[in-house]
Parts: sequence; structure tokens; C-alpha cells
Amino acid sequence: MSTPAIVGTLDDETTTTPRSRRRRRDDAHGAEAGTHHRGPVWTVLGYAGMVLVVLLVAVPLFWILITSFKERGDIYVRPAQWWPEPATGENYHELTTRIPFFDYVRNSVIITSATSVAKIVLGVLSAYALSLLRFPGRGVVFLVVIAALMVPNQITVISNYALVAQLGWRNTFQGIIIPLAGVAFGTFLMRNQFLNLPGEIIEAARLDGAGPMKLLWRVVLPMSWPTLVAFALITVVNEWNEYLWPFLMSDDETTAPLPVGLTFLQNNDGVTNWGPVMAGTVLAMLPILVLFLFLQRQMIKGLTAGAVKS
Amino acid sequence: MNEFSRRGFLGLAGAAGVAGLSACAGTGTAPSSGAGGGSSNTIEFWSNHPGNSKPVEQQIIKAFEAANSGLRVKLVDAGKNYEEVAQKFNASLAGGQLPDVVVVSDVTWFNFALNKQLAPLDDLLSAAKIDTSDYVDALYNDYNLDEKHYALPFSRSTPLFYYNKDLWKAAGLEDRGPKDWDEFLTWAPKLKAAAGSDTIVMELPDGSNYLDWVFQNIVWGYGGAYSKEWTPTFSDPNTVKAGAYLQDLAKKGFLKLSKDPAPDFTAGIVGCSMMSTGSLGGVTKDAKFAVGTAFLPGDGNCPTGGAGVGIPASLSDERKKNALKFIEFLTNAQNTVTFTQATGYMPVRKSAVELPEEKAFLEKNPNAKTAIDQLPKTRSQDNVRVLLPGGGARIGKALDQIVQGQDVGTVFKALDAESQQVFDSQIKSKLGA
Repeated sequence: MSTPAIVGTLDDETTTTPRSRRRRRDDAHGAEAGTHHRGPVWTVLGYAGMVLVVLLVAVPLFWILITSFKERGDIYVRPAQWWPEPATGENYHELTTRIPFFDYVRNSVIITSATSVAKIVLGVLSAYALSLLRFPGRGVVFLVVIAALMVPNQITVISNYALVAQLGWRNTFQGIIIPLAGVAFGTFLMRNQFLNLPGEIIEAARLDGAGPMKLLWRVVLPMSWPTLVAFALITVVNEWNEYLWPFLMSDDETTAPLPVGLTFLQNNDGVTNWGPVMAGTVLAMLPILVLFLFLQRQMIKGLTAGAVKS
Repeated sequence: MNEFSRRGFLGLAGAAGVAGLSACAGTGTAPSSGAGGGSSNTIEFWSNHPGNSKPVEQQIIKAFEAANSGLRVKLVDAGKNYEEVAQKFNASLAGGQLPDVVVVSDVTWFNFALNKQLAPLDDLLSAAKIDTSDYVDALYNDYNLDEKHYALPFSRSTPLFYYNKDLWKAAGLEDRGPKDWDEFLTWAPKLKAAAGSDTIVMELPDGSNYLDWVFQNIVWGYGGAYSKEWTPTFSDPNTVKAGAYLQDLAKKGFLKLSKDPAPDFTAGIVGCSMMSTGSLGGVTKDAKFAVGTAFLPGDGNCPTGGAGVGIPASLSDERKKNALKFIEFLTNAQNTVTFTQATGYMPVRKSAVELPEEKAFLEKNPNAKTAIDQLPKTRSQDNVRVLLPGGGARIGKALDQIVQGQDVGTVFKALDAESQQVFDSQIKSKLGA
């Protein structure tokens, strides 16, 4: 689904694009500019628009960052303080002492990695089966999976809770992870990707005697790398931010992930000290940010290694 | 095509099946009543730690365990606010593993009580020989349904009138809150003149953030009410008068609504507000001006709020008894003082204010004393707001419309009809059943 959007971000990464392609694109761009010949007013407006959008995204993030370094009395002042003066690390100290922050981080890492791995493996395997292999009932199975996609998980929460509580899995990792591991979305996304692969290549691989697993690993997956990475990224971000189910299942810091843990910094009846909340937000964002930067490169590698002959 | 694609890959189809299955739901059978998981000498306490009170709760639990050997208390993080605790409790009612003690707010307890999911405490209390007359009456009676009590007060708050003393001085006003809302209307222009154009005289929370709670005070102040018992009385001329007053304040530019007035008040861009006593600690700490507090305008017109603690109905008698023992300990005079001094909530016991440590505390914190002195003047809220499903939100929405300038009579008339309909369809048949 979001493949086009992510391919679009390639334009910013000119450094890693091969030289020839870049030149070609520059040429194309020049030609376009030549024919349309936009006036300077439009150019300025275009840049103003871009700056506006960047500000729209960046200012709240910047505000979170500086607030996390402010002293409590400096957070609500007028005129607003645009730079922490004096800067303090006190909020980060309070964050790690007032709540068991690192326990929450550990739980988040465990839950996110386990559910993500489960979702990706299940998603790829089931999509592979549903798109490239033929077996009886394939269409029915696919319909059932799609039907599961239609049911929002808020609806199944109560009955899932009943089931898991009776297994005695409340406040355990398996109780949180297993019900989250279903992947109708991944199955759907990857199946469509696999169906779009050129049939000739797959047929050629089969003729060359590739077994089904080899076909998956050596042919299908390498060609689907960008979609897979996009799917993985979406999955990881979703799991990292998952709130409702872990909140219902967990009782304390032995299993609760970060989004649940951070709420205990907020005062639910009275005035919240936003400094530590912001510090927690910054630290919770970091791993995802790093992962995103890392995976974005992988997506580009996948693209440039595309094996389609024209 | 090739035969191997048929053979081994039914296994893969299995993987697809699993993916589909675990995305679906399973429905468990209801647990046999009375069991509900958990052992009888571990008391599970589901709390949202109101007012960042987790350390204090743990401290009280430790003292309880020391005093009652053999009993253990497990403190569970049950949510970030009262609504989330209610949600988690609801889930556990469907699926077993019930808590022994659960925090229920002035809004969430009633539905559980009505559906017989919370245990009436009166018999348990008299069996344990606990004297309930020491609980502050208005707070204790908030959990009354058909002459039975379904919770004991725990983290209770009331609104307070907060004002900026510096602005009061600049406007040449006496250092006190308004006697009634008519007096406030005569003050407002002076405050506006003294404050300058970019300061708002009064800011209140909007309709989705408890405007309906603090507005209760204005309604009572004009002799109106949201309801008499279960009969909605929004169309009552006095209630309409209060609504018109609110609209008038907004029209004249004295009143603004916001999601949370505390930051604006603390930043000094708002002259006064009605906010929970729970905000007192935070506001005093953050504000860079002298913060004044006063009773809400009027006499005996202060609504109560906050939460109590209840016991699920389907627990075994043994567990109920232990749970009650813990609740009593949690809310006894000594511990209610410990708890409220750490959080800004109200002591729920009459005898609490006689304790030496509370006396010393109040001497040092005159603003906290305002709140406690106001306590005898509190009044349990009207049923239509706290007990009718969705009542607070419904009234809040109507008040938002009034502030935006819609006709008060029309809005309140519609509110009457809507409230009555909700009562008829959802409550009436269950009352007295």
C-alpha cells in the first residue's frame, strides 16, 4: 500500500542513487522546467509551501525536545521559551527514577521483536502459499484472512481477554504476544506484491528446478524486498506503539511496554509535570527513528538490486 | 502445476490459517462464579494511582502487610485514568481473574453497581464492625443506591475557586473569592480592565473536560439543578437562568473554555478558574505569581468528585472479607492523611483533621486548608450527571453549545428529553429490581 510513498522518498537520497540514474533524472527535470517555464513567483510559493510543511512537522518535535530539557517552572510561561534556559537533565533523571523506565524498555523490545518476527514470518509464508502455490480451498482461505482484516481488534478484545485469562496468561509475555501475532494485513499486502511479480521469472526458476523454499528465498523475496521492508517497518512501528491490548493484559512493570509505562508519568487528576513526559517521549522515539533510517537504506538496496529485465 | 506444489504446501496453507485464526477472536466460557482466579490471601488492588500516588499506595500496602501477617496485597497498574480502570474491570468481568479491590470513580461505579457487579458493602461493614459515621457524609453517600453503599471514598476531590492574587490586587478587589456569581459579574469588568487585552478573566474546562462538573456549582447557585432524583430538570427556570449566566459571561468576553485551564492559569494569562483540588500542588509549584484559593461561590454548592474503592460482587465471602479489611485500612484516618498530603485529595474521614500531622500540614498550606474547610459544604452531584450512562458527556456537549451562543431554553429542553429517554431505556427497569 505505501510502497509508492516510500519509493518517493528516494528522491531525497540522491547520494546513494547510482550516478547514471541521477543524471538522467536531472536531465528529465531540466527538460520539464524548460517546457513549462514556471515563473519565479511560483518557485517562491513552492518553497514557501515546503517550508510550511516542514515547520508543521518539525515544530512539535522540536518543542518536545526542548521541553524535555526545561526546568518545570519554565514550561508554562509567556512568552514561550524557545530554548531551554537554563538547560537541565533533571527530567531524564526523574524519568528513570520515578518509573521503572528500563523495565518498560525491555518489555517493549521483547514484545515488539517477538510479535514483529511472528507477523513477518506468518505474513510472508501465508502470502506465498496464497499467491504462488495451488491447492484446494485457496480462495476460501484467502477470503477468511481478508475477513479477519475487516474486524477491528477493539471488537475482539473482550473475548480474547476471556480466552487468555482462562489460560492463566494474564500478565505474561505469551499472553500479550500470541493474540497480537495474527497478520491479515501482511498476508494481504505480500500476496498482492507476489502476484505482481513477473510470471516468467517464477516459471523460469521452476523450470531450473528450484524447490518451493528456494523459489521463495532466492527469487520471490529478493524481488519483493522493498514491500517486505515497508511491511516490516509498519509492523514494528505499530507493535512499538501498541497500547490497548498490552494495557489490558499487563499488571505491572514485569510485562507492561513503554506506551503503558509512560502514562504513569501523567497526573490523571491535577497538573502533569510535562518535563519527564517529554523526556520519555524522546527516548521512546529514538529506537524507531534509528530503525527507520537503517531500513530506508535497505529499501534502496533492494530497489537497485531489482532483477527484472525489460 | 508441479506435484510438489500441492504436497508439502498444505502446511503453508496451515500457516495462513493460523494467521487468520489468531486475528479472529475466541470466546471463553464464563468462569464458575466465586472462583474468578487468584488465591484468597492475596488481595489484588486495581488502581490507576490517582494523582501519581503509586509510591504512597505502596507505602500504605507495606504497612497493611506488616499489620496483617498472612495477607498480601498485589498492586496492579490498571490504567491511566478512571475510565481505563473501568474498561479493564469490564474485561475481567467477562473473562474471570477478578481483582479484589478496584478503583471506581464517581461516574463509573454506578453502572457496575446497577448490574450487580460490585458488592453492596453494608452487610460486610457491619459484620466487620466498621463505623461508617466517621466518613465525610457527602463523600460516603455518593455511593448510595437503594440504601446500599457500593464503594468507600478513597481519592476524593472537589473543585476550588483559583485566582491570581496579583491581578486581584491590580483590579482593586478584596483578597477573597466572590460571594456568589452575581458579585462575580460586577467584578469581571474591573478584572478585564486591569488584566489587559490578552488576558482572559475566567477560563473553564470545556464540555468534554468536566465543564459539566464545575457548572453544577453555578446551577445550584441559582437554585436550579440538573435533576431531582431521576427527573431531569434542565427546563426549570432556575437552571435556564444559570445557563443564560454562562452564556452571558462568554458573550461579554469574560469566559473562555479550553481543554485544560491549568496551564493557562499557571502561565498567568487567565485571571481565575474552577479546577479540581487535585491541581493544587501542581499549580502552586509551577505558577510564578501568588495563587489564591477560595470556596466556590455560594453556600453549600460545591459538588464532590473523584473516586472510591469497591469490591467485585462475585468474589467468595472469604476474599470479600479480606478486601474490605484492606479498604478500611486504606481509608482510615491515618492513611487518608498520608495519602491526601502526598496527592492533594481530600481526607475522607472526619477525624483525620484532628490528627496532629494534618494540623501541622494545614497550617503550612493555607490553600489546602481552603479545600478542607469547604468539605462540609459539599453536596452529592445530581443523578443525571453522574449516574445516567454518558450523563457527563451529554451535559458537557449542551453547555458547549450554550457557550457558543445557541438558545439556552432550546438546548436544555432537548437535554431534558434526551436524559429522560436514556433513563427510561437503560435504568428504569433495573432500579429496585
